Amino acid sequence: MQKQIDPRVMAELREILDPAGVVSRPGELKVYECDGWTIEKSVPQLLLRPRSTAEVSALLRVLHRHNLPFVPRGAGTGLSGGCLPLAPVMICTSRMNRILAIDARNRRIEVESGVVNLNVSAAVKGAGLFYAPDPSSQAACTIGGNIAENSGGPHTLKYGVTTNHVLGVEIVLPDGEVVELGGSIEEPCGYDLVGAVVGAEGTMGIVTRATLRLLREPETHRTLLAIFDQVEAATRAVSAIVASGIIPGAIEMIDHLIIRAVVDAFHVELPLAAGAVLIIELDGLGAGIDEQAGRVTEMVRASGASEVRLARDEAERALLWKARKRAFGAVGRLAPNYATHDGVVPRTRLPEILQRITRISQSHQLSIGNVFHAGDGNIHPIVLYDERDPDQVRRAIAAGHDILKACVELGGSLSGEHGIGVEKINQMPLVFTPEDLAAMVELRHVFDPDERSNPGKVIPQPGACVEVAAPRRQAAL
Amino acid sequence: MTAAGLPHESRLSDAFVSLLGRECVRDARADEIGVARVIVEPATIGEIAEVVQKCARDRLTLAPLGGGRILAQIRREPVSVGLALRRCARVVAYEPEDLTVAVEAGLTVGQLNELAGGKGQRLAVDPPLPERTTIGSLIAAARSGPLRLSEGTVRDLLIGIKYIGREGRVVNAGGRVVKNVTGYDLMKVMTGSYGTLGVIVEAAFKMRPVPANYTVALAGFARLEEAFDAAFRSSHGAPLLHCEIVSRRIGLALPGSPASANDRRFLLIAGLGGTRAEVDYQLTQIRGAVGTLIEALDGAAAEAVYHAIRDCPAAEATIGARIVVAPSALAGALEAAGAEFCAHAVSGIAQLFLDDVDEQAAHEAVARWRALAHRAGGHLTVVAARDSVRAGLSMFDEPGAGALALMRRLKAAFDPSNIFNPGCYVGGI
Repeated sequence: MQKQIDPRVMAELREILDPAGVVSRPGELKVYECDGWTIEKSVPQLLLRPRSTAEVSALLRVLHRHNLPFVPRGAGTGLSGGCLPLAPVMICTSRMNRILAIDARNRRIEVESGVVNLNVSAAVKGAGLFYAPDPSSQAACTIGGNIAENSGGPHTLKYGVTTNHVLGVEIVLPDGEVVELGGSIEEPCGYDLVGAVVGAEGTMGIVTRATLRLLREPETHRTLLAIFDQVEAATRAVSAIVASGIIPGAIEMIDHLIIRAVVDAFHVELPLAAGAVLIIELDGLGAGIDEQAGRVTEMVRASGASEVRLARDEAERALLWKARKRAFGAVGRLAPNYATHDGVVPRTRLPEILQRITRISQSHQLSIGNVFHAGDGNIHPIVLYDERDPDQVRRAIAAGHDILKACVELGGSLSGEHGIGVEKINQMPLVFTPEDLAAMVELRHVFDPDERSNPGKVIPQPGACVEVAAPRRQAAL
Repeated sequence: MTAAGLPHESRLSDAFVSLLGRECVRDARADEIGVARVIVEPATIGEIAEVVQKCARDRLTLAPLGGGRILAQIRREPVSVGLALRRCARVVAYEPEDLTVAVEAGLTVGQLNELAGGKGQRLAVDPPLPERTTIGSLIAAARSGPLRLSEGTVRDLLIGIKYIGREGRVVNAGGRVVKNVTGYDLMKVMTGSYGTLGVIVEAAFKMRPVPANYTVALAGFARLEEAFDAAFRSSHGAPLLHCEIVSRRIGLALPGSPASANDRRFLLIAGLGGTRAEVDYQLTQIRGAVGTLIEALDGAAAEAVYHAIRDCPAAEATIGARIVVAPSALAGALEAAGAEFCAHAVSGIAQLFLDDVDEQAAHEAVARWRALAHRAGGHLTVVAARDSVRAGLSMFDEPGAGALALMRRLKAAFDPSNIFNPGCYVGGI
C-alpha cells in the first residue's frame, strides 16, 4: 500500500507551483496510471508539473524532508512500466520544454528535459544537423524520458543510442541538490557519471537539463523494401548485410501478422501473403550510395527475397517509415491489448529466436507479431491478448517470460531499448548474479541512498522469484 | 601510506607465492618501480579474484598495471601489489558475423586488431602504441585516438564488462549484444576510472569494418586559425575518419616528409575512407572546403602518416598534457599555449607538450595550459612528466563540487577499504 500524503505536505508542495502545476483530482490522475506497459496500473495521489530546475529542487527538498518517494515522468510513452506510479507523488517534466541553446559549430544543443525528441531535430534541421536517437514515439516522448530509458530507435544501428549522444546533464538528486554532470565538452573530468545516469530509469534523481550531441545529416538516403516468403530468409539477409561490412542507417523487419495490420491501417502496398518485409535504409555520400544499394540488393536477393523495391522519392520513403513507426498503432486492429517485448540476441541468432517465438506462440495459444530492429538483433515481439480475460493476461505474461528466457539462452539480453521498469524486473536474475545486482544497487545509492527516486524499478529486491512470472500486485487483472 | 606496519617486500612476495606459485610473483622492473612493491601475474580470472580477496583481507593496496606507463606517471607512492595481466590475455569469443568480441583484459589492442584484421574488422579505438596498450588500460584510462571522430571512443564501443570489485567480488554488466539497456551501465562507470574502482578482467566490444580504402589528405597552414577553419569546413563537407592538426615539429617528423609540412607551421591531416568513388568524392569536397593545395597519400604512405599522428610523442616528452575544451575554443587555447601539439581538431581535444624544460618552466606551462582550459570551459590532465619536473604537479583537474562529492561517494561505495589504486585520481580519490 502506498503511504497517504499528509495534507500539510500536500499544501507545502502546492505552494511551490502555480495552480496549473498541480493535479490532484482522481479523474485527472487516472491518465497517469501507467505508461505503454498497460498490464500494470496504479494511480498516483498527486501529480506535480514544475516549470524550472528550481521548482524541481524545491519539490524534492520537501519530499526529502518528509521521506516521501516519487516517480519522475516524461511523456509516459515508455514500454516497460518505467513511470508506473509505485510512489504517491509523480513529477512530470513536460512543462520544462525550452530549447536553451543551439551551437551549430560545435554540434551541440542544450535543452530542458521536457523537450519532445522530434523538436530537437526540427530545431537544427536548417543547420544541416540532426539528433540521432529516434524512438518510434519521437513525436511525443521527451528527452528526459529518453535519457532515463537510454532510448534507441531504428537509426541507432548506425548512430548509437541515447547514451552516445548525451554530453552533460543537470540532475536534481532526491534530496533536492542540483548537480551538473559532464558539460558541453567531449570528455569530462573524473568518473563518467553522465554514463551512469543515462539509462538508470529515473532511479537516481530527476534530470532537468541536457547537452546533446548533434550529427551532420547524411548527404543522401536509399531506402529499400525487400519482400520475403519466409521470415528465416529475411533474417539470413540481415546477417549477410551486417557481416559484409556495410552499416546501413537502419534494417527493420516486419513479419506476416504486422504486414496485415499495416496494410489495413495505412494502405501501404504490400503482398498480404508475404512472410516478412525488411526496410533497409542506407545513408551516406551520393558518390557511393548506389553502389552500396546495388550490393545490398544482390545480397537480399541471394538470401531469397521475392521482390526488392527502392523508394523512388522522399514521399515513398516517408510512407515506408510511417508504416514502420506506426506499426504499433496498427496492432490495435488485431487485438484489444498487446504487450511489446524488447529482447536482444546476437544478430546471427535471429532465425533461432524467431523459431522459438513461433513455438512460444503455439504453446501459449496467443498470436505474436514481430516488428523490430533486425540490424541490432533487437526484437519486439508483440503478444496479443484481451485484458478482460484473466487467463489470457496470465498467458501473455508467461509468453513474455519465455521469450526473454530464450533471448538470454541464445546469448542475448532482456532489453535493447525499452528498459527493465517493472515489466522485466523479475527476470533480471536470468542475466545477472546477486553480486552484479549488489554492485548496481551500490551505484544507485551513490545518487539515491534511500531509494526514493522511482522505487520498485530496475533492480529486484534480493531473493525475488525468477521462476514464476506471477502477475504483480498492481496488475490490472 | 607509510611502510610502518606493512609486511616487508620479501614477506609480501612469499604470501603471494603461496597463493599463485613462484612463477606468478616477481619484483617490479622498469616503469613498475615506484608503482608497486611486488608484481603478481595471475593466470586466470579466478586467481585475480583471489589476489584481490587477499589484499582486501590484509588491507594491502593494489593496482592493475597494464604496461605500467600510465601509473608510473600518476602514482606518487607505490601500492603494495601490482597486478600484471599478461597471462590473462585470451580471446574469449570473437563473432565476426555479429561484429562483437569478448577478450580478457591483458590482451593488447594490437593483438586484438591483428586477429580481427584477418576478417576485415578492427576495434576502432586507436590509442598511441596499441601494441603496448592492454584492453584493461584502454578502458581504465579511457584512451582514444584520431578515430574517435568517426567511430567514437571506448564508452561508445564497450558493450560488456567483468571486473573484480570490493572483497574480490566478480561483477558483470552489459553483455555481448550491440544494443542493451539491461541493468545499470557499469561499463561507463569503469571507463576512465584508472583502476580506482576495481580490476577490469574482461570486456566485450562492438567491432567495426575496416574501410576498403584509406587516404590521408594533408594541407599546410601558416596560421592556426586558418587550419582550424579548414578542419571544421572539411568535417562538415565530408564524413571524415579523423581530422588532426599538428604543430610544426610533428609535421616535419612525419614519415615521407610530406611537402605540405615544409614551409608551413601547422598541418591538417584528414582521413578519408570508403569505396574508391567515395574517397575521391570526399577529396574533391575537401579541396573545395579548404581552398588550398592538398596532398593526398594512399596505401603504405597513408598508413605511415596515420601511425605517426596516432602515436603522438606527448607521452614521451619532458612535460605533456591533454587539454579538453569546446571544439570551437581549441584553436585559441593552442595559440596561447606555446607548445608543440597534436590536436583532434574538431573534437576539442589536444595533446600539448614541451621538451627540455626545467622544473620551473614545466610547472609554469602546466599552470598556463590549465588556465587556458578552464577559460575555455574545459580541463587539463597531465599525461607525461619526467622525474625531474614531477614534484608537486597535480595530474588531474577537479570537477565541480557537486560532481566531485558524488565521485567520492562512488569510490567509497565500490572500494570501502580504499585499496584500489588509492590517492592519485581526481580529487585525491
